Amino acid sequence: MTECLLCDVELLTKPSWKTLLALDDEMVLCRECLSEFKLSNQQIENPTLKKVTSLYEYNDAMRDYLHQYKFLQDIALAKVFKYELHNVLKSKTNIIPIPMHPNRKVKRTFSHVEELLKCARISYSDVLEKKDDETMGKKSKIERLALAPLFRLKPEVVIKNESYMLIDDIYTTGTTLRHAAALLIEAGAREVEAVTLIRARLND
Amino acid sequence: MVIDFAVQSFLTGRLWLREHIPFNSNIIDAHIATGNIKVIPGIKKEKSFLYKTIFQCNRCQNNTPSRFTVFDCAKCEGPCVYCRHCLKMGRVSYCTTLIAWNGPEPAFPKSHLLAWEGKLTPLQQIASHELFESTIRNRPHLIHAVCGAGKTEILFKPIYKMLLKGKRVCIAAPRVDVILELEPRLRVAFPTTKIAALYGGAIVENELSQLILATTHQLYRFQEAFDVIFVDEADAFPYTADETLRRAVKKAAKENAPIHSVTATPSKKLLYQMRREGSVSTINRRFHGYSLPVPRYESLWNYSAKIKKKKLPMKLIKWTEQRLIKEEPFLIFFHNIILMEEAEPLFKTLDRRIKSVHASNENRKEFVQKLRDKEIPGLLTTTILERGITIPNVQVAVVGAEHGIFTSGALVQIGGRVGRSSVYPSGDFVLFHHGISHAMDDAKREILRLNKGGASL
Ligand SMILES: [Zn+2]
Ligand SMILES: [Zn+2]
Ligand SMILES: [Zn+2]
Repeated sequence: MTECLLCDVELLTKPSWKTLLALDDEMVLCRECLSEFKLSNQQIENPTLKKVTSLYEYNDAMRDYLHQYKFLQDIALAKVFKYELHNVLKSKTNIIPIPMHPNRKVKRTFSHVEELLKCARISYSDVLEKKDDETMGKKSKIERLALAPLFRLKPEVVIKNESYMLIDDIYTTGTTLRHAAALLIEAGAREVEAVTLIRARLND
Repeated sequence: MVIDFAVQSFLTGRLWLREHIPFNSNIIDAHIATGNIKVIPGIKKEKSFLYKTIFQCNRCQNNTPSRFTVFDCAKCEGPCVYCRHCLKMGRVSYCTTLIAWNGPEPAFPKSHLLAWEGKLTPLQQIASHELFESTIRNRPHLIHAVCGAGKTEILFKPIYKMLLKGKRVCIAAPRVDVILELEPRLRVAFPTTKIAALYGGAIVENELSQLILATTHQLYRFQEAFDVIFVDEADAFPYTADETLRRAVKKAAKENAPIHSVTATPSKKLLYQMRREGSVSTINRRFHGYSLPVPRYESLWNYSAKIKKKKLPMKLIKWTEQRLIKEEPFLIFFHNIILMEEAEPLFKTLDRRIKSVHASNENRKEFVQKLRDKEIPGLLTTTILERGITIPNVQVAVVGAEHGIFTSGALVQIGGRVGRSSVYPSGDFVLFHHGISHAMDDAKREILRLNKGGASL
């Protein structure tokens, strides 16, 4: 017996040829919960990032999802969008998740972006490192974001003259992705694209 | 050995996630070192005979394999597991610890005031006495009393006498609405007693409360805390469906402390069990002595299709208009939220102030109060309001009474909202249906039986 990961309602899995041949998608959400998420096909372009693709809009269902996944640490929810992520990333190479600060990762007990990729069966290389906040001194957050780089490359990482794909959970102002993209370009990447699960509306 | 009084007050009887404790880590460590706080792993792992690992959550007692998720943990740097069943109270995983008070128990006050000035009917008095007798004999007791018999007042004396002995008392209910309804009444009845009401979203008080009102969910966070527990509405969803809630109630009771049940519609299983292991008091008269309202059937063919086409069936319009003209507050029950929400704008054309409530509706408490205050003429509701609420002179309709969700117990409870006050001891209780179900007939038969004086089952 399986239950919907969000509302616990029992999932009725009807045996069909597809399930018998193991071709069918493993259901993790019920129809109702699934229908709450709104697909987005937002694509943004800017000088540093060739293209940013976001899969979903930020709405109430997505807010609740993120709350349960990240704040309540419900790792099981990493599965929810595995097919969608798999489909958009399966033909891509050089996939790099946006990293968390190691201390925050220990506190959360998992990296939410990496778990999404693991469930989607997408291989990635975690070549980026989040820098310590403390080293940035007493500047305001806005100043810090504008001035100091947020990330650095891990030691001995080589960036080739190829196309790279950054992954993050949510695109808000784009600052995070631009910082990471700039770093990769500087290190020799030909171009950088990004996929995020969600695109936030800025006026919220 | 130094005991921090605040830590003792907070933790006595509680089972709390260490990382959520509102005290400095050093203070907690010091109490652990002296043995005044005991540390319990979040998840218990056991190997079954087939070498399969079985997990049990030490907070909510869940042991259903599908309700656990195994993961690669960055904190304990290895395979770890967490419980999804009680996730919303803060995640319990293999590498988190729960803590409980293990030191001397604080003394509870023995001086209390029972300020309730009403008078029990002879039937209530007998039940109240029997309930107390069972309590001091540590024997479970069932109060089987019709809706409107005055169940809460029956509890007052036994609670009072236990408080006077310095005992800790809990009233638990599966539904938050029941707790919200009980809280003000108990605060009035016991004005000098420290009372806490616990439900999802309520503020956690750090003080030591002697009388606790809690949803059964909240009892996940208690262990060997109470000298007696009264489970109100013991047949309500999800208590009967979720085994972990029943385990939670047991875990929250001290060893041998009695767990009593109070309901108008006990399951056959509960009745049988209580007759065998405990004792039962039955009251089949309402406190004002009038009969229970008998449901009347009204056909409402194809109501669902009509509402979908944005047309309210004429009979429903007529019924609602009558209530509006007579200024009688009303509740209209629906079997599902979607249909109710489709009907809401149609009802709003009759009166703009009509509102709807359901389980995940945060304004529920406010709307019920507004209905009582006559600021809202009527509410559309799911079965969430089937029990626990009292609104003088309320008139009740069920739309789609033939649906499976309206069991005979649910219909008896819904009818129990009508005619509760002695000023308005009767009222309309109408079942609009698309075909008569067995449950409707069973409910009607049960109400007629109770009105005849309750010949035995
Ligand atoms: Zn669902
Ligand atoms: Zn649990
Ligand atoms: Zn762990």
